[in-house]
Amino acid sequence: MSGLRDPPEDYLEGFPPVEDKDLLVPKQKYLSAGVHVGTKIRTKSMSRFIYRVRSDGLCMIDIKKTDERLRVAGKFLSRIEPKKIVAVSSRIYGFRPVRRFADYVGAVAITGRVLPGIFTNPRAPVYYEPEVVLLSDPKVDKQAHDESVKMGIPVVALVDADNELDFIDLAIPANNKGRRSLAFIFWLLTRQVLRERGDLPPDGELEEDYEAFATRIMGIR
Amino acid sequence: MSQDLEQPRLSPPRELFCTSCGRRVTYERGIVKFLCPNCGEQLIVRCRICRKHAHEYTCPNCGFTGP
Repeated sequence: MSGLRDPPEDYLEGFPPVEDKDLLVPKQKYLSAGVHVGTKIRTKSMSRFIYRVRSDGLCMIDIKKTDERLRVAGKFLSRIEPKKIVAVSSRIYGFRPVRRFADYVGAVAITGRVLPGIFTNPRAPVYYEPEVVLLSDPKVDKQAHDESVKMGIPVVALVDADNELDFIDLAIPANNKGRRSLAFIFWLLTRQVLRERGDLPPDGELEEDYEAFATRIMGIR
Repeated sequence: MSQDLEQPRLSPPRELFCTSCGRRVTYERGIVKFLCPNCGEQLIVRCRICRKHAHEYTCPNCGFTGP
């Protein structure tokens, strides 16, 4: 169960020409996870990350830029005290990746509904003061995003072709809707943070494959 | 009385300027400041307006462009 499958033929359409040696992982892994598949809606601020639009209208995200931003985000998060990093996901497919990321890195995971006042109300029972907030989707995690903006906390976010970049300080362009894509991005980010911190050697790998980060679908055969 | 006068003064707050537009934002709300995500040496300051309109910032030290 390696988690690698042959991607469909049309996945290759619109994929930017890039060599495996320039990327953190081989191109095939990006393809199988569908990280580069965007949405049919494209915002102006995201156009700098979009490589081309496929014949069926789907925007293809530039994998080179995703790769570059993952490296930068890894450096950025590795410099911050682990307990001061908060990873948020209100999307069901993001629950497990965020929790696994928090387990490995030592960060705080917030999954599901974000209680109002979590970053702004010191009297709230769940009050927390992070130094950086990592969002899996700024549209869905709006409560956490708004509160971190009010408190002047830097925001790192996974952004898709349909996201706006307002009040985001470091964007990681990727497919933030797919189950496998979310798992893969968080797995890669975890590995990169640990490598930058020195917990893993520069070419070290995590014990688990990215499938371990993916949310399991129960009851579906 | 003379002792009060001789007490050292508190240093004035460091002036902050937006990295994107160059405005002075020392006493403004809604700003954010962080070390450059790439090099980690240069302080990046973003004012509320530049954040809202997703204006690009460039690190003067390493040339990294965000967001």
